[in-house]
Amino acid sequence: MIWKIAWRNLWRHRGRTIITTSAVALTYALMLVGMGINDDGHRRMLEEAANAAGGAVIVHADEYWNSRASDLVIREADAIVDRVRAVGGVSAAMPRVLVNGLVSTSAGARPILLRAIDPEHERALQDPGEDLVAGTFLTGPEDDPLVLGARLVEELEMELGDRVVLTASDPEGEVTRALFHLSGIFQTGTRELDEALAYTTIPAAREAVAMSGMLTQIGVVAEGGEDAQQLASRIRAALEGEPQALEVLSWQEAVPEMVGYTELDDAFGFIYLAIILLVVLFSIANTFLMAVLERVREFGLLSALGVRDRKVGQLMLAETVLMTVLAMGVGFLLGFGGHLAASHWGISMAAWGLDEMELSGVDFADLVIYSEIRPIKWVIGSIVVALATVGSSLYPAWRAARLAPAEAMRFFE
Amino acid sequence: MSAERSTAKEGAGAAGAAAAVAEQPVIQVRGVTRIFHQGTLEIHALRGVDLDIDGGAFAGLVGPSGSGKTTLLNIIGALDHPTSGTVVVAGQRVTELTKGDAAEFRLDHVGFIFQAYNLVPVLTAYENAEFTLLLRGVPIEQRKRIVMPLLERVGLQTEADRKPHELSGGQQQRVAVVRALATNPDIVLADEPTANLDSETSSGLLDLMDELNRDLGTTFLFSSHDPVVIERVRRVIKLHDGRIADPGV
Repeated sequence: MIWKIAWRNLWRHRGRTIITTSAVALTYALMLVGMGINDDGHRRMLEEAANAAGGAVIVHADEYWNSRASDLVIREADAIVDRVRAVGGVSAAMPRVLVNGLVSTSAGARPILLRAIDPEHERALQDPGEDLVAGTFLTGPEDDPLVLGARLVEELEMELGDRVVLTASDPEGEVTRALFHLSGIFQTGTRELDEALAYTTIPAAREAVAMSGMLTQIGVVAEGGEDAQQLASRIRAALEGEPQALEVLSWQEAVPEMVGYTELDDAFGFIYLAIILLVVLFSIANTFLMAVLERVREFGLLSALGVRDRKVGQLMLAETVLMTVLAMGVGFLLGFGGHLAASHWGISMAAWGLDEMELSGVDFADLVIYSEIRPIKWVIGSIVVALATVGSSLYPAWRAARLAPAEAMRFFE
Repeated sequence: MSAERSTAKEGAGAAGAAAAVAEQPVIQVRGVTRIFHQGTLEIHALRGVDLDIDGGAFAGLVGPSGSGKTTLLNIIGALDHPTSGTVVVAGQRVTELTKGDAAEFRLDHVGFIFQAYNLVPVLTAYENAEFTLLLRGVPIEQRKRIVMPLLERVGLQTEADRKPHELSGGQQQRVAVVRALATNPDIVLADEPTANLDSETSSGLLDLMDELNRDLGTTFLFSSHDPVVIERVRRVIKLHDGRIADPGV
C-alpha cells in the first residue's frame, strides 16, 4: 500500500516531479558521461605523455633528464641496450641520440632538438613517420638524412634535398659542424614541434657529434599490463654494478606534471560533480519539505487512522526511492547514450581551441578523446547518487514522521 | 488477530450486538485538563472534565467554538494527551499509551470521521474505505466482503473507483463513515462531520450513522454545533469554557 500511495503521490504534482526527476537524471547522466570522457581522456593523455617521454621507462646517464647536458651520455651503449632488453617485462628497447643544436641555411639559423632514432625499433612505441607530409622518413639512401618540421622548413626557405648545417656540442664539449640533407618534412600541427624538432638516423648523429658507441637515451616499451614503475625498479636492479652511473625513470617520474595534471583534473571533476550533486540534493530536500508542509493534514489523517510514525516516514522515503529509480533509469539511458556518442565520434581537443596546447610533450592538437566505461566507477558513482538522493529526503521524512496527529489535523483549519 | 477482530461483528444481528454493549461505559473521562501553551500564554482548553459514555451511545458534544469539543474528542481518540487526568476507552487507559501504541489503539478501537480532508486524495473511494482493514492485515477477499456491502449500504457502490476529488462532499463523508465502521471499532468519533455539508446532505448522513448505530451497536460520539446534529443525537453533552456544563444523562 505504501508503494501504491507513494507512486500516486509522485504524480499529484506532475510538473514538479518531472522537474525534480529531470534534475537528478541530468546530473546522473552528466556524471556518467563525464566519468567516461575523463577516464578515456586521461588514459590517452598519460599514454601520449609516456610516448612523449620516450617509453614506459627511459634510461640515461645519471642526471641527464633534468640537465639535458650534451656531455651526459651512455657509454658502451650497445651492451647496456642488450642488458635492458634481457630484463623480464621489457617488450622493446629503443636506442636514441638526442642533441640540442642549431640548424642553418643561407636563409638563417634556428635552434632545434635533434632526435636520432632507429625507425624500425621506434615502431614498437609509435610510428615516428606518421606526421610525414613530404619526402621519406629516414628510409632513403642518404647517409645524412634530416627530417624537419614544415614550419622550420618554411622559415629556412628549404626544399627537399637541400643541404643544411647542424652545429652542436659533442660530449667532450667541442663544437662540431656537420652537413645534412633535407630528406623529409613532417607536420604535427603544434607550433613548438614543427619549428624545433628534427629527426635523423643514429649513425648520422653519432658521426655528426662524435658519439660513436654512445647513446643519450634508451626508451623501453613494457609488455602488456606491465607496471612501468615496477619495470623501472627491475631495470635499475639489472643495471646496478655498471661502471657508469645511470638514471632509470618510469614515465610517471619523467613527466610528473602530466600525472599531476590528470590527478588535479580528477579532483576538480569530483568537486564539480559534488557541487552539482549538492545543489540538486538541496533542491530535492526542499521539494520534499514543501511536500511535507502541503500534506501536514494528510499525514495527520494517516496517523489518526492508525498508521505508525515510522510508516509515515517510510511513505516519504518510498516516494524518493521511486523518484530516484525513475530518475536514474532515465539518467542511465541518457548517460549511456552520451557515452556511445562520445565513443563513436570522439571529441577533438583542437575543436575546443586547444590546438596550440602542449603539455609534457603531449600535443593536444592531435588528441581526440573518446569515452570508456570503467564499470566499478560507474557502479560506485551510481550508488553515491542513489544514496545521496534518497538521503536528501531523510530530513523531510523525519519531519513527516514526528508530526503530532492532533496538531496536524488542526492544520489549515 | 486484527483480521478476526475486524470481522467479529460482521453479519451479527445488529440489534443484538447493540443490546450486548448497551449500558456499559465504553468511555470514561476523569479529571481531564488540557493546557496549550502559546508563548507565555496558557490556554485552558479543558478544565477537569469528567464524563462517562455508555456502549452503543449516539451522543454529541456541543458547545460554542473554543469550548473544548475537539480537544476532548482528540484526547478520547488518543490523538492528543491531556495535561492531567485519565481516559479509559474500551477498557484501555489511553492516557498512558506511547505514540506508537496510541496509533495501534486507534487502529483497533476507534473510527474517525473528520470535518474535511477525510480521505487520502490519491486513493479511490474503495481503497480509502478498506484502508484501515489493510493496515490491520486483513486479506484482500475478506476486505472486499466487508467493504462492498458497506459501500452499497451508503449508496456508493457505483462510485467505488472514483477518487475523492471526483466525489461530492456528502459522498466523501459517507466513504469516511464506511472506513470508520469497516474495522468494527468500539467507538466512532466524528468531529464536525456535517460542517461542510448542506442541511439535506447532513440529514442524510446523520440518518445513515443513526441507522448504523442502531444496527451495529457502534458507539458514536460527535462534536458539533450544527443544530441538525444536536437534534438527532440521543444524548447531548454541553461543554462550556472547557467544562461539562450539562452531561445530558
